[in-house]
Amino acid sequence: MKDLFPLKQVMGFVFSLILTAVALAVYFMDLSYTIGMSILLVTAFIQAAVQLVVFMHAGESEDKPSIYTNIYYAVFIALVTIFGSLLTLIWGYE
Amino acid sequence: MEFFDRFIVPNPSPTIYASMVAIGLTIIAILAGLTYFRKWGYLWQQWLTTVDHKRIGIMYLISALLMLFRGGVDALMMRAQTAIPENTLLNAQEYNEVFTTHGVVMILFMAMAFVMALMNFVVPLQIGARDVAFPRLNALSFWLYFMGAMLFNISFVVGGSPDSGWTSYFPLAGNEFSPSVGTNYYMLAIQIAGLGTLITGINFIVTILKMRAPGMKLMKMPMFTWTALITNVIIVFAFPVLTVALAMGTMDRLFGTNFFTTTNGGMDMLWANFFWVWGHPEVYILILPAFGIYSEIIPTFARRNLYGYKSMVVSIVAISALSFVVWVHHFFTMGQGALVNSIFSITTMAIAIPTGVKIFNWLLTLWKGKIRFTVPMLYSLGFIPIFTIGGVTGVMLGMASADYQYHNTMFLVAHFHLVIIPGVVFAMIAGMTYWWPKIFGFMLNERIGKWSFWFIAISVCLTFFPMFISGLDGQARRMYTYSESTGYGIWNGLSFIGAIGLAIGFALIVYNIYYSTRYAPRNIGSDPWDARSLEWATHSPVPEYNFAIVPHVNSSEAFWDAKKNGHDLFPGEYKKIHMPNNSGLPFVLSAFFFVFGFAMVFSMWTLAILSVLGIFGCMLYRSFEKDHGHYISVKEIKETEKKLGGI
Amino acid sequence: MKIDQSLPLEYSTEENRLKILGFWIFLGAEIALFATLFAAYFILVDRTGSGPSGEEVFKAPTLIIQTLLLLTSSFTIGLGIHAMRIGRVKAMINFFIITLILGLGFIGLEIYEFVQYIHEGLTLQTSGFSAALFTTLGTHGAHVTFGLFWGLAIIMQIKKRGLTPETANKSFIFSLYWHFLDVVWIFIFSFVYLKGMM
Repeated sequence: MKDLFPLKQVMGFVFSLILTAVALAVYFMDLSYTIGMSILLVTAFIQAAVQLVVFMHAGESEDKPSIYTNIYYAVFIALVTIFGSLLTLIWGYE
Repeated sequence: MEFFDRFIVPNPSPTIYASMVAIGLTIIAILAGLTYFRKWGYLWQQWLTTVDHKRIGIMYLISALLMLFRGGVDALMMRAQTAIPENTLLNAQEYNEVFTTHGVVMILFMAMAFVMALMNFVVPLQIGARDVAFPRLNALSFWLYFMGAMLFNISFVVGGSPDSGWTSYFPLAGNEFSPSVGTNYYMLAIQIAGLGTLITGINFIVTILKMRAPGMKLMKMPMFTWTALITNVIIVFAFPVLTVALAMGTMDRLFGTNFFTTTNGGMDMLWANFFWVWGHPEVYILILPAFGIYSEIIPTFARRNLYGYKSMVVSIVAISALSFVVWVHHFFTMGQGALVNSIFSITTMAIAIPTGVKIFNWLLTLWKGKIRFTVPMLYSLGFIPIFTIGGVTGVMLGMASADYQYHNTMFLVAHFHLVIIPGVVFAMIAGMTYWWPKIFGFMLNERIGKWSFWFIAISVCLTFFPMFISGLDGQARRMYTYSESTGYGIWNGLSFIGAIGLAIGFALIVYNIYYSTRYAPRNIGSDPWDARSLEWATHSPVPEYNFAIVPHVNSSEAFWDAKKNGHDLFPGEYKKIHMPNNSGLPFVLSAFFFVFGFAMVFSMWTLAILSVLGIFGCMLYRSFEKDHGHYISVKEIKETEKKLGGI
Repeated sequence: MKIDQSLPLEYSTEENRLKILGFWIFLGAEIALFATLFAAYFILVDRTGSGPSGEEVFKAPTLIIQTLLLLTSSFTIGLGIHAMRIGRVKAMINFFIITLILGLGFIGLEIYEFVQYIHEGLTLQTSGFSAALFTTLGTHGAHVTFGLFWGLAIIMQIKKRGLTPETANKSFIFSLYWHFLDVVWIFIFSFVYLKGMM
């Protein structure tokens, strides 16, 4: 039975639960916008990384460089699209 | 018959009625011909169900040429209408439909298809592979494109053409200002074709990364393959943005959402923003393969290897990253403040640098080369000066404050045509001419080809240079007419003459295809140009399995070095070859998408739901399917090789 | 078809390796897709027209249960793949079934949540904000729903054909898909709900 619950996966799950709880603190506690957003950003990205590396085995095959490059490029595009659009249409708009 | 009212074109004219008749007759002729000559079996087995990248490439090529005709006729109509002041050939509504169709067809159904055609046919051969990574998905990509193109192309006779420009800005493209179904066609047809393109992106990245011949490291790949790889990376990350934008546009028009409305919290400018987040990378998707083609042709016909291979690779990668951070330059005047405009001005000017590097590398390749002025080389040589002129006007437009003067004038129209035509179209014609013998086993006629080149090269200048002047004088784009007092008449008149010259040039290309198919000799061997890369190391036309033995490579010009140094490209014995089976599923699945698109255009919800069920049904079938391809035996390989003349 | 015995079954043929890499690249495209949806959401989030805002309709209890369901399902499918790799097919199927049931629970709650919103005057057509909200949540939900059917098809194939290079490959790719949906949910949870309720 033990071999069906590998330590890495269980630890990853527990860590994700903790990160989720920390993020929820932003709702339950009265925090400033900056602190709240920072907590959300940090917990979200860390949890995403846990999923990618621990659960999805992103680094386990010979294609590790391609897969990581793919993810980094995608994140770059995502950030550019989101922040570029926000800058253009809201923050930088006259 | 109220149900059928929705299919009526809102503003029919004699031309539209004539087109309806012509389309109807053509369809009947095709169906009758296929039946009479008993070619249904052949059509289904050899073309509709093929998963062979070479056949798929040919189908893309035929489609691209047909779409070139349609887009070209649109262009001629526009230039004819504006040739003289206050002309009455087309009214404003018709003119709007024509320039919208012209843009969509030329960019998405002609240029993209041409790029796909050459990438499909050449890339697996250039890397020494037997097909792409996912042959069935490859077929699906083509049929989705085909169905998207067909859906778009029937709009002008069933329900009405879109008329808000190929950029389809909201709020003009919303229900209030575009009540006909035309814009629905736009949203759905492009969505369907775009899905096909996205799938190709994934397919070719995996193919190029994982299926190269032994010894072909990344930095030893031919330049066309490099540009194909980077182009497909851009596709994978740019097209989803378009997918979302089109979906939102569809929802606004069909389901009453408020993404791009001017009330209830909608933001019309959000469409333009997302459209160009996709749209700018899109033009690099078009131009990078073109650059790759020039990087193949120029070394071949200057008898020198490409100057600056490494810097070429670096510049392509730089272009791909930068292409995602310049998009706001398409709407500098939309209301952003100086900070935003300045940032994007700088990135826009920065992206000109890697392209400049490439131009210098091509010039340095030519320097002290032994130049052969074949048709592909002529297009490549013509590209350099004309594209450079178009390109530097791009840098002018990229200066945000100056752009307030140029934006949406004919100056802009001249800029983008003078980069797209010498950049993309010349490369496609050159590439088609260059690889034609590999695809079909005979050469296109050089003499006719040269006539077409000169007609096209001179006419593109005659058509578009005057637009710089009329644009600076104040002529706006997309205007169906102008008064004589503006003084635009002479410039537009010159453009019209140029357009006729372009038409003649393209007609000569079509004639060349016919003439060469009829008269060109078929015994040209496998390497008629004395070329440098792997696709020339196998027979013309290429056998089903591409290479009888997988090539072993040790330089970036594997074939050339093999010829000069006697290196054995094909070591080892014949082994049986595993090939994928044909499949009808891509065609059927795409047909369901066509029905879905059509149903959505006309808000026929039951039909839409049924077709969605059909789509999922096909996917379910595919999931449970057990199909492991077939083997080509050593005996069969030996026979084929002997027939084609051995290695 | 050459099978490389030194690699896990799902990587063991060349075709398998191509498919796994292809799927990762597809996920890159999906990141771009959801990024666009998020961009639209952030731009339209305050544009509530005459309708309610997120703060007025988001409910913490539903959110927490949904998140726990999906996160746990991501855990169970990870256990399923591990079971596959050590050859425990029955355990693998059970973990997959649990995953799908948790996913079904997630979708059920999401539908319930949407109905609540509509009762409170927030419909798809209400405002720019509502359009972006429902489309972002809905796209994620549609992906999960598609996954339920896909997962079912795979379970049926494992039951019928056992563990082969093909079925192992399909199962692994499905797990990549399922994990990815949880990654997207992490961002929805954080930047749609929690940020909206701050």
